[in-house]
Amino acid sequence: MGKMPFLGNLTLSDLLRLIVLGFFIFLPFSHNLYMINQFSLLLVYGMFAMSLSLIWGYVGLLCFGHAVFFGLGAYIMAMITKGMIPGFSGFLASSTMGLIAAIGFNAIFALVLGWFLFHGRLSGAYLGIVTLAISVLAERIFISWYYTGGYNGISSVPALKFAGWELINPTSLYFFVLAVTFLIYVFLRRVVSSPFGAVLAAIKHNEPRAESFGFYTINYKIKVFALGASVAGLAGALFATVAEFVSPTELGFKMSTEVLIWTALGGREGLLASFLGAVTVRLLESYLSETLAEYWVLILGLIFILSVVFFPQGLFGKLLASKTRIPGLNPTPGSTKKKEG
Amino acid sequence: MDPVVQILNGFNYILVLILVAMGLVIIFGLMGVINMAHGEFFLLGAYTVVMTTRLGLGFWAGLIMAPILVGALGAFLESVLIRHLYHRVLDTILATWGVSIAIKQGVIIIFGPEGLMVEPPMPHMVTIAGVAYPAYRLFIMAMALLVILFTFYLFLKTDFGLGARAVIANPKMAASLGINTRRMYLTTFTLGSAIAGLAGATMAPLMSCDPHMGLGFFIPAFLAILVGGAGALGGILVGSGVVGGAQNLISAIYSPIAAQIVVFSLAIIIIRMRPEGLIGNRSNG
Repeated sequence: MGKMPFLGNLTLSDLLRLIVLGFFIFLPFSHNLYMINQFSLLLVYGMFAMSLSLIWGYVGLLCFGHAVFFGLGAYIMAMITKGMIPGFSGFLASSTMGLIAAIGFNAIFALVLGWFLFHGRLSGAYLGIVTLAISVLAERIFISWYYTGGYNGISSVPALKFAGWELINPTSLYFFVLAVTFLIYVFLRRVVSSPFGAVLAAIKHNEPRAESFGFYTINYKIKVFALGASVAGLAGALFATVAEFVSPTELGFKMSTEVLIWTALGGREGLLASFLGAVTVRLLESYLSETLAEYWVLILGLIFILSVVFFPQGLFGKLLASKTRIPGLNPTPGSTKKKEG
Repeated sequence: MDPVVQILNGFNYILVLILVAMGLVIIFGLMGVINMAHGEFFLLGAYTVVMTTRLGLGFWAGLIMAPILVGALGAFLESVLIRHLYHRVLDTILATWGVSIAIKQGVIIIFGPEGLMVEPPMPHMVTIAGVAYPAYRLFIMAMALLVILFTFYLFLKTDFGLGARAVIANPKMAASLGINTRRMYLTTFTLGSAIAGLAGATMAPLMSCDPHMGLGFFIPAFLAILVGGAGALGGILVGSGVVGGAQNLISAIYSPIAAQIVVFSLAIIIIRMRPEGLIGNRSNG
């Protein structure tokens, strides 16, 4: 499923994927520069949601504090490109270095954390609340840290710049973010459909059984946790350059809650479904939050409860997992009706 | 501050932490449900007091009403929402998380996002070991101790407690022996919620009540359960002692942030070394 399908094999979900891609390619052409920047943020949030979907929907590692990785990525990007880390100048203070550091630091941080948590046999709700505690703690640390601007965070983060090519124009930045998001999507799809991904699915459905087949499940969980954290860090780093600022909100409680809601509402068991969850909720929020004001969060919370009870697969989960072929294009509908994880 | 006052304040915090953790752990032990809205039940308890003092009913009316109102809300949530999710335990976490978001936002809508103060109901001081100490804090300690003792008595000495422990050990076997597990779940959830509401009400005059205060007790209570172990009720006494004690000691010496970092790191290391908690049996988290 990782590669582009031929028209003859087009399923409903493939068609939806193409529509989504087309939508985002043509989205900027009819809008002003401010809106294009907002769309770039949508993509960044979507990527962030995909990273949560990877560890939560595909492996079952519930993470209530996923924003800590997003926010750390954003802070690292901001601090490196603004030359705020002592000794980091020249190439070491470039955008490339910022992206590498945001990904790398998160990977190492998550590896260490995962080593403690998963060897401690922490799973389910326990893991969720421990990560929530990390996120809340990180938020408090950054609020009281004078060097990174405290409550206000770091503003005027420089634009992305690669070998003299600077992405100042919102449209080119948008297409850069779109390309990265698309590549991450393709990469994560390959991961989950690889043999490694098969083990992840086995862990999700029955960990003791996966273990009894000889897979050292703790290592798998640590690795995928680190991968999810790295992608979240990349999304955070891109956020810092698109929004041009980063504040403690990005790694704290509020952001962690939001990404969980996006992913759950979209459909945690699908990468694209979570992506669309983020995009849909953010778009609705930008239209409704003015009229609904503080009732928006209340309504969102209630919708979240309803979706947990009645649509655990989310709004897009079923649709995108569907293997129904499109009638006109396929004379012989296949019998592959099995659901995809 | 005088060290005696520090120590007494530390005990005060630990006792309230035990109340919050106890509500969490009896719901988890019996039903396997981690109630993410537990912090918000604490919050609602505190805001009940805010409400009654605003309405002119005074603090004490709020203290009595808080466990009743919050317990009723818990009973309502159990029968409307959580009961339908017993076969999907992980989803109860998400559903109660949604409840917590909704409650918190509801409080923001009604009372506003800013911190509110409640007049201390017992303003006079009592002299202990040569230092003046607020009488109200002593009252909280006595009350918390009573509630803790009552809960232990309930679970260890009464018929209800015997039934509850049977359900914890093996729900199906307990049901086939004639224990109404459904009703037991309802009772437990109500009881756990009511205790959280009471804890919130008692703390209202001591801190600024803002919509995020629930999380400030939920996370330490949860860490206390992790440290002490979820298997035995006694685990939370040890866990709350370690978490609350370390929190207060380091806050007094350095800063609250440093205390949170140390307490959290301590909890993570204990989880790694002793996944079942310091004194608990094997936890099934």
